[in-house]
Amino acid sequence: MKTDQLNSKSHNEIIPGKWARFVEGFRIFLSERLNAFSLGLTVFLILVAVFAPWIAPHPYDQVNPSYGMQPPSFEHLMGTDQAGRDILSRVLIGSRISLSIGLIAVIIGLFSGVLIGGFSGYFGGLIDEFVMRIVEIFMSVPGIVMALALVAVLGPSLPFIILALSIRRITQFARITRGAVLSVKQQDYVMACHGIGMSHIRIFFIHVLPNCAAPIIVLSSVMLGNVILTESTLSFLGMGIQEPTPSWGTMIAKGNEYLTFAPWVSVFPGLFLFLTMLAFNLLGDGLRDHLDPRGGNIV
Amino acid sequence: MLIFIIVRRLIFSIPTIIGIGTLAFMLGHLTPGDPAIAALGIDIEGYSNVDQAEVERVRKELGLDKPILVQYVSWLGNALVGEFGRSYVSSVPVAELVFEALPSTLLLMLVTMALAVIVGISLGIISAIYRGRWGDYLARLITIVGVSTPTFWFAIILMLLFAFVFPILPITGDITQHGLKAMILPSFTIALHPAALIARIMRSSMLEVLSQEMTRTATAKGLSPQRIYLVHAFRNAVNPVITVVGFQFANLLGGAVAVEFIFSLPGLGSLLIEGIYEKDILVIQGAVLVISVAFALSNLAVDILYMLIDPRIRL
Repeated sequence: MKTDQLNSKSHNEIIPGKWARFVEGFRIFLSERLNAFSLGLTVFLILVAVFAPWIAPHPYDQVNPSYGMQPPSFEHLMGTDQAGRDILSRVLIGSRISLSIGLIAVIIGLFSGVLIGGFSGYFGGLIDEFVMRIVEIFMSVPGIVMALALVAVLGPSLPFIILALSIRRITQFARITRGAVLSVKQQDYVMACHGIGMSHIRIFFIHVLPNCAAPIIVLSSVMLGNVILTESTLSFLGMGIQEPTPSWGTMIAKGNEYLTFAPWVSVFPGLFLFLTMLAFNLLGDGLRDHLDPRGGNIV
Repeated sequence: MLIFIIVRRLIFSIPTIIGIGTLAFMLGHLTPGDPAIAALGIDIEGYSNVDQAEVERVRKELGLDKPILVQYVSWLGNALVGEFGRSYVSSVPVAELVFEALPSTLLLMLVTMALAVIVGISLGIISAIYRGRWGDYLARLITIVGVSTPTFWFAIILMLLFAFVFPILPITGDITQHGLKAMILPSFTIALHPAALIARIMRSSMLEVLSQEMTRTATAKGLSPQRIYLVHAFRNAVNPVITVVGFQFANLLGGAVAVEFIFSLPGLGSLLIEGIYEKDILVIQGAVLVISVAFALSNLAVDILYMLIDPRIRL
């Protein structure tokens, strides 16, 4: 289905190579204006996060108590917080922290989830039954409740925060991958692989898993936004990143105390969080329409 | 036959619920250090100043002196009959705290869901009818913004707008003080996500139905567009929405946690977060267990409801 669509223009010519097909697919993806917008926004946010220390107009931890709670001005574009720290600088550095935590948690979830779900779906039987029961149990605990409880019990240090955020991703990736593997393994070409005596490992990694990539890629994008939101919620409730490390969640929580007379303290970090979520959600939507047009309801 | 299928589905959900109990039990034993001390709510640093007799008493009371398997079975048995131990802060039984918090959360969820369904379905229908025109674009803009807005931040913004700038609504969600008016801000906040998702599903489902031949037949026999959209197409398009509503009902429980806390609404979410701040392990366990079982049960209810509505889905 995917290759048909990509090759439609060139079906009388020589079949293009993998790279050419990728470029062509990418061009089709970008021809949708909303996709170009979301990809642009994502790239922009990533660049901002990478270069934050050089873009930030002030050191993010420079305290200046006599200059606290200043409204936005040319000197401080987003104003200053209770300790006189520049909010823009803290928001920029905060994006670094949020994005990297999100990325690490999604990568952990992706690798473990894809392997667990993939094997479970490929081999089936009792193991599959067992793994899916476990996944179902973990899926019954709302993500934020699970993360809160784990961090509360283990303590809000970075490794535990990442652990708390990735556990749910593992189950989500496992479920999606299993579903995809179940449908791919019944295809004729997989039967043919068995017929010519290929090993299970080779069939699984070379012939089944790559054909399950579409829903996994889509889920990764949606999950990135999701993990960042959960991390911010944890930090907002005081159970995530701790001061003085800047994090959007803690900044919004602090600002909540001064809401009536200094709303900028929590409004601007929230705006950045919103933009990040918007970028990943739109990108996820675009990728879903592009890669996986029929599987709209699986994520 | 349907009754057998439902009974089978009910039996299948028992291992899940026991599994949730196991998770909650493990939570109490994950704490670094002595669970008895954790149940007393004392930090590990304060270990040396702890009254040993008190610790021993708690250890006996919680049965922590027995083998872990025995502890597990008795904990699970107690949890099944709603016995979660006592909160160390208030020494009130946790079950009582949960029972007091439950009505607020349930009411909040019902109001929120009603709001989300009404707004979501209307937006979805408008979007489908005006496909490719400004009404569609506006509705879709609202949904994508709705899905991407961080709930806890939206709560603060709404608070700022409607409790401070235009002081027309109460800032807390306590209905005993302000009546149903107190539910408006919290439920609007939480309804944002589910409403956006419902609108999306409704739009695509409605578009699919409108492209079917029955719609053309209805037009051909001279029915008014209103009748086609709101009666014929709507009825055929609403099924997927019911599934989403069910799943969202479960998600609301998670979404409500931070929002309840922000609006100081005395529900399960506030109970959980206060338990976390006080390091009240037994309250955390109880709240996690009740929230998760409610989550699992509402998914179960949706499955059964769906089987009753759509006879094709009888697994």
